[in-house]
Order: sequence, then C-alpha cells, then structure tokens
Amino acid sequence: MNIKGRTMAKKVLLVDDDPDILVLNQTVVEENGFEPVTAENGEQGLALARSEKPDAIVLDILMPRQSGIKMYRALKLDDGLKDIPVVVLSGIARKSFLKSQDILSGNDGRQVPEPDIYLEKPVSPAMLADAIRKVLAGK
Amino acid sequence: MHHILLIDDEPDILRVLAMSLRVDGHTVHTAASGEEGIELFLKHRPEIVITDIRMPGMDGIEVLKRVRSLSDRVEVIIVTGHGDVDVAIEALKYGASDFINKPVRDEALSVALKRAGEKLAVQQQIRDYTHNLEEKVEEATRALRRQTVFLQELINSSWDGIVGIDADGAIAVYNPAAERIFGKSARQVLGTTIDTLESGVRTIIEQAAHSNVCHLESQELTVIAETGERIPVDFSGSCLFDGEVSIGFVGFFHDLREIRRLQQELVEKERLATIGQTVAGLAHCIKNILHGLEGGSYILDAAIKRKDYEKLTNGWRLIQRTVHRTADLLKDLLTYSKKREPEFKPCDPIGIVKEVCDLLLPIAEKSRVTLDIRVEEGGPKTVMLDPQTLYRVTMNLVSNAIDACLFDENRLKSFRVMVRLAVREGERIDLWVTDNGCGMDEETASKLFVSFFSTKGAQGTGLGLLVTRKLVEEHGGGIEVTSRLNEGTTFHVWLPVRDHQPDEHQGENHGKESVVGG
Repeated sequence: MNIKGRTMAKKVLLVDDDPDILVLNQTVVEENGFEPVTAENGEQGLALARSEKPDAIVLDILMPRQSGIKMYRALKLDDGLKDIPVVVLSGIARKSFLKSQDILSGNDGRQVPEPDIYLEKPVSPAMLADAIRKVLAGK
Repeated sequence: MHHILLIDDEPDILRVLAMSLRVDGHTVHTAASGEEGIELFLKHRPEIVITDIRMPGMDGIEVLKRVRSLSDRVEVIIVTGHGDVDVAIEALKYGASDFINKPVRDEALSVALKRAGEKLAVQQQIRDYTHNLEEKVEEATRALRRQTVFLQELINSSWDGIVGIDADGAIAVYNPAAERIFGKSARQVLGTTIDTLESGVRTIIEQAAHSNVCHLESQELTVIAETGERIPVDFSGSCLFDGEVSIGFVGFFHDLREIRRLQQELVEKERLATIGQTVAGLAHCIKNILHGLEGGSYILDAAIKRKDYEKLTNGWRLIQRTVHRTADLLKDLLTYSKKREPEFKPCDPIGIVKEVCDLLLPIAEKSRVTLDIRVEEGGPKTVMLDPQTLYRVTMNLVSNAIDACLFDENRLKSFRVMVRLAVREGERIDLWVTDNGCGMDEETASKLFVSFFSTKGAQGTGLGLLVTRKLVEEHGGGIEVTSRLNEGTTFHVWLPVRDHQPDEHQGENHGKESVVGG
C-alpha cells in the first residue's frame, strides 16, 4: 500500500437502509484505509454525494420507496456526479434485477449506464473491499 | 303349353296321342321304348313324361324311377291297362303324378295334363319362394354375424374389465381386461356360476342382482386377484332387460393401478420438490445469519485492534441482533413444522391487539406511517381464545402492513395502517389489517402462502404469512386477503371463540402471561 494519511484517504459514500450493514461496511472502508461517509436513504445519499464529493459510492439499490434506484438514476443523469464510480449492492440477481426494475431506461426514457460493479447480497468484507479498490483504481 | 315326352311301344297309340297333343298346342317328342325315352329325356328335358306301363325292356315303372332320379322338375303320368291297380299304386309310390287308363281318352288326358301343369307351377313357385327365403336367411345371417363380431370385438377391446351374467346366473361375458384384472382366464370362468368370481365381486353382484337397484353408481373397490395382489378398481354395474324381462347383469371394472401409481409418483415428486424448496429457503436464511455473524466478528476484530469502544458496541449489537433474528426464524420454523393445539383461555383481545400496535408504533413512526386501531363497540371485554395465536397473527399482519407502506414508491401518499377489531361473545373475533401501501399484483398474491417466498429480500424469511395461516387454521379460523397493486392490501382474519368455562381459569390472567412470552 502507498502512504496512508487522513488527508490522502479516498472518500467512500455508503448508502444502505439497514443500519447493521451500514456499520459493517463503514468498518470495511476504514480497515482498508478509506474514509467512510454514510447515508440511510437515497435522498440523504444524494445530498451527501453533492456536498462531500466522494471518490466512490456503495449503494444498496433495493431500499424502500425505490430511493436506491432513484438515487442511482439521479447520480448518472447529473453531469457533476455521473463520473463517480458506483458499486451497487442488491438482494436480487443482476440479470433479473436490471430487467425488472427499468433501472437503466427509467420512466422518462433517459438511458443511464450499468453500474460499474454489481454485487449480490450478502457481500463479505473482502468482496466489498476488492470492489471498492477496483472502482477507485479504474477511475 | 307344355313340353311333353310320350313313350309307348305301340306305334299307333303313340302316333294318335302325339297328334292329339300337338293339335292342343303342346310340343311332343315320341319314343317307342323305355330306353329311347330316357335318351330323349336327357336330350330335350321335357316337363311332362307320359309313359305306358307295360313295355318290353325298360318298363314304365323303371322309366319313372330313372326320370325321377334325373330331375325333380318333371311330372310323370303313367298310362295303365285296365285292372293294373297294383302297378298303378306302385307307380304312385315312386312319385308318379297321375295315371290314366287305356284306352286313353282325350278328356282324361287333358285333365291329367292340367293337373300336372298345376303341380309344375306350384313347384316352381315353391322353388322360387324357397330360393328367395334362402337368400334372405343367408343375408340376415351374415348381418347378424357381422354385428355379433362387432359387439364381441367391442367388449374384447375394452380397457375396462367386463363381466356379464345371463338370466340363469352363468357367466356369459368375460373379456381380456377382466382376465388381466382378476388373473383368471375366460376359459376357466365362462359358463360357470358367479361362485368362480372373487368373493368381494361376487357379493356386490349378488346384492345388485337381488335388490331393485338396477344401476350401480361407480364406486371404488379393492379386488384380490388370483395372484393375491390387491387391485383398486372403479366398479359400476347394471341389470340388463329385454323389455320387462330381466336377462342378466353386467359389471364394469376400471383398473386404477396405473392411475394410483401416477398419483403416488406425483405426490412423491411434490414432496421432493417441497423438500428442495425448503432446503434452498433454509440455506438462504442460514447464509444471511452467517453473514450477520461474520460481519459482527469483522467489526469486533477491527474494534479490538483499534481499542475502539464504540465500534465494539456496534459489532456486539450486530451479533446480538443476528442471534435474535435466528431465534425468531427458529420459532417460525418450529411453529410451521409442528402441530400445535391452541390453548383457549379467557383473555382480552382488544388489549392484545393494542399491545402489539404499541410495540410496532416506533417503527411505524420512523417510516412515517400512521397506525390506528378501531374497535367495534358492544363486544365483551373477555373471551375464550388462544392469546398466543392472536398476538402472533396481529404482529405478523401489522408488521407486513408497515412494510407494504415502506415499499411503496409513491411519495405523495400519506401512509396509514388501520387495525380494526370486532369481538362477538361466544362466536368469533374478526381482525382487519388494512394498509394503503404498495399492494400486490396477482402473481405475488398467488404466492403469499408459499414457503420461503418473500418480496423483502434478505429482510424476510418467507415464513411469516405461512405461520400466520397455520396458527389461524389450527385455531379453527380463516384468513383472506384482498389487494390492489399500488393501492393497498387488507388482510381479514377471524378466529372462533369458545364459551366461558366459569370453573376453569377463573380469576387468573393467563392471557397476559403468555402474551408477554410471545
């Protein structure tokens, strides 16, 4: 690993409605030398994405009131935010999920790209750490 | 007019008679001896032969015999001398149709010819008639045979065993399917009495034959075959009548072995599929539990390493919550898999429902869902039911209702869960849980009571409604659901309550105790 330090740490925004998962993922991010920022729903997540300018976002896409899906589409349709890599966490298999939720085309027909990484829950600490490192390296 | 052969050894008589006959318009051949007569007969085949009886060589009787043996379409008239009565009688014995005395008078001759002609005509008629009749009989026989073969084949080719008994009680029909079922051959059985049949079948046929019930509706029987095999059959039978007259009885035996085998196979397949589903569902639940425990240990490791007390608390809580969830899952699994007798005791249903709502109120508030209770007035305060059942059913349905609001994407709605309760003394209690949340499409609604089916991802076990229904049914009640996608869902549960048993449980508050445990 290269130089560790608060100022150098990359910022990772974690969005999940399950507080247990949020605490766990927060620890994973810290243990891997990044700085976590957490949000419990999509609205809060989007506000933090704007104010905190994270280097990567880990988003639970299956949250109540579709707030995960809405946040994902809002990120990708916002010129200031669309380049932040997103790791999507989901309880459903990737293929059926993308098909059933109209996540990519939405109601307004505006196409958004697929998430950089899609992980099926439950996600182990090692898997999450790998995914975050991968999207940060690809940036 | 006739075709006549005239035989006489006296040329004069021959000439005169021939002339006379020809004058009358007949065709006449003449022969001077019996031998010549036979020769001409073979050549010309006349209808009528008139022969003198006394001739040298072949006499009239011999001519008669020969002619008769040559043809049956000929009339022979014998001409006899005066006083030849014996000969005349002999001639009649050999089939002469008439005889006339010498000297032959025209009158007598014409009478004899007329009679012979009539006989010939009658014979021809009989022949024609007989011929017609024979043809008709043959045709009818052929048709009858065709029909019999058709019916026989019909019976033989039936997949159902057919046993027919005639009016005398003898077995008249025993088709190959019956052979296959009972294991006795038709040869052993046909023509014997019904004592030859298997005893169960015999009894039922005897009962039917002796009762006035002439049509036996299909019923399932088990017959024991010759091999000892117990064969399930579907039996039906009927008395047979020709008009008013009873002509026998017929029994139909439909072999159910193949159907039973397929049914068993299906049950077994379903059982295996259910086991497969259960195992897959359980594996999924265990995976989630394991993940929670691993996550907790990960946080604890990190916390210990950093001596971070707050993190330690977080990790430990995650482990505790996972343990709690595991206990809940286990409880649901046990409830689902074991039969439980509801424990009826006096309790306060309104109090139980309120207690559940109080417990869930913070969760509802956090999710911005209003939770209301409405109790229909006039009901008694205490009724006899199983408080545990009511507690868990209410808990499941109200939590589901709050979840349904959470999963609704419509942010303009103000979400509301309404719990309504009606208590009727000695009858039943009704509980309605209505939400205006996301609702369900038909597909989801149809899977509501399928084990491990959940729309809540890792959050749900897919057992809640299953357990709810089981508890309700064990209590003798019912559950129904109405739902519209995006508009909301209502679950309606009713539980019968028992009459108070004043000497039991009086003064104790069992209800409260067990609710706290639940």
